[in-house]
Amino acid sequence: MSVSRADVERVAALAELAVAPGDLAELTAQMDRIVGFVAQLSALGDLSIGAAEPMGPRETPLRDDIVVPADLVHGPPELAPEFVDGFFVVPKLGAMEEP
Amino acid sequence: MSAREVAVAVGERLAEAERAGLNATLAWSEAALLAEADRVDALPEPGPLHALPVAIKDNIVTTGLPTTCGSRILAGYRSPFDATVVDRLHAAGAMVACKTNLDEFAMGSSTEHSAYGRVRHPMDPSRVPGGSSGGSAALVASGAVPMALGSETGGSVRQPASFCGVVGVKPTYGRVSRYGLVAFGSSLDCVSVFARTVGDAARVLRVIAGPDPRDATTLAAPPIAPLRSGATLSGTTIGVPREYFPGDLDRGVRAGCDAALARMRELGATIVEVSLPHSSLAVPTYYIIAPAEAAANLARFDGARYGTRAPAAGDVRALYRATRGAGFGAEVRRRILVGTYVLSAGYYDAYYGHAQAARRRIAGDFSSAFAAGVDLLFAPTTPTTAFKAGEKTGDPVSMYLADVFVCPASLAGLPAMSLPIGRSEGLPVGGQLIAPALAEARMLAAAAALESVLDATGEVR
Repeated sequence: MSVSRADVERVAALAELAVAPGDLAELTAQMDRIVGFVAQLSALGDLSIGAAEPMGPRETPLRDDIVVPADLVHGPPELAPEFVDGFFVVPKLGAMEEP
Repeated sequence: MSAREVAVAVGERLAEAERAGLNATLAWSEAALLAEADRVDALPEPGPLHALPVAIKDNIVTTGLPTTCGSRILAGYRSPFDATVVDRLHAAGAMVACKTNLDEFAMGSSTEHSAYGRVRHPMDPSRVPGGSSGGSAALVASGAVPMALGSETGGSVRQPASFCGVVGVKPTYGRVSRYGLVAFGSSLDCVSVFARTVGDAARVLRVIAGPDPRDATTLAAPPIAPLRSGATLSGTTIGVPREYFPGDLDRGVRAGCDAALARMRELGATIVEVSLPHSSLAVPTYYIIAPAEAAANLARFDGARYGTRAPAAGDVRALYRATRGAGFGAEVRRRILVGTYVLSAGYYDAYYGHAQAARRRIAGDFSSAFAAGVDLLFAPTTPTTAFKAGEKTGDPVSMYLADVFVCPASLAGLPAMSLPIGRSEGLPVGGQLIAPALAEARMLAAAAALESVLDATGEVR
């Protein structure tokens, strides 16, 4: 598996990350090295066969369904760019969408 | 000493550490220290950590000091709330001494990837203190503070503890609340503890551990029992995993581990060799899972929800891209890109699916060893002592391999710790104990027994 310049440009776009054109060659080489290193797992075949050890908590813990006020030092009016009459003011969705 | 006197003394030590060029602190002030002292003096009764100064890694949020995660993108950010661990330290009478330098967003093994400059090893400034919690480790090792909090995702407390010659304890995944820990790899992240002695680390861990309604991943487990007194390991079986002692292991590290095992045998422990056959998969597994989770967790730093906003012409996506491109450093960008790559359509099963299966294999190895009658595992914490600054920055994979002995316990969610077991050519060597889930008390008791009979500052032979 080798990572191409086009791969890096594609994942950078997916990750919403600007990459300067001058950095692309080095990033591509480093990504190729890292992906090549982790790809050794794929070469081992299906590791899930016989691997029954569950990971993480044995059951999903649920917290009580109770609303507790957040103990904030700075309240929402101080944190939000715009906060009017108890509401956050956000841009209209249409204004944020690509044409 | 009054809390105010302690605060003044700590301020002098932090200033001294700054003058020495450690670059281990990102934020502290005499005024903030005195405010902490006044808060302690106002408590109705002294707590278990009365007036003890604790340094806090700068990815744990505090209201009194900014939280930057070592990143330009969070320059000057002030959290509106304290992390649960900070609340619990405060309730126990401790004082927040400072915020400590780290690899940006806790991604690194040398604390060379901070936007605010690299941290220097307190015993040799040409070397690294390890990472990502290098600032916390260096401050404890230099004597500026007795205790510090760090965070572990893949060994970021044990590895710097080993390099700097201090104690570093990672609890069971879910033992300590992550509310207020800036998320990196959510299935791995653990708030962890540094101290100069096992006893001090145990005291801090007991204070910060326990269920938290604000973190649904915390475990409703009985509290960690107080540290037993008495230096004996009679009746304890210590497993030594052969995969952690490869032929090319540093000679000094091997000698330190051999000496520590001899001391444990003298204390009454039974030493047996065990095998953890999937250990070699841990680093590649970690470097799929952690970047994948990081790519999702760091999506919030976009200049709109969080972060310093970069000036950008155009639409909101141009704003996101410009902010993130300018705000994140090289290692964070690499990991976001790798994480996005391994999760992208067509690659998910080949990378992430395989990594999840490998993770189960690694956890299964530990379960089998403990089920076979081993109480604790002992191994080196790191393959070498502290390396030179710049030695591994040119090759990310070479840096990742510095975590080869600490990644497996993180992937399995097990408690593990490093304690100093001697020095090789003047540099600290760390020994690692790994315990079954929730067996922190057993692990800490064994470490305290070993600590009591070891000369941690003596040259190993």
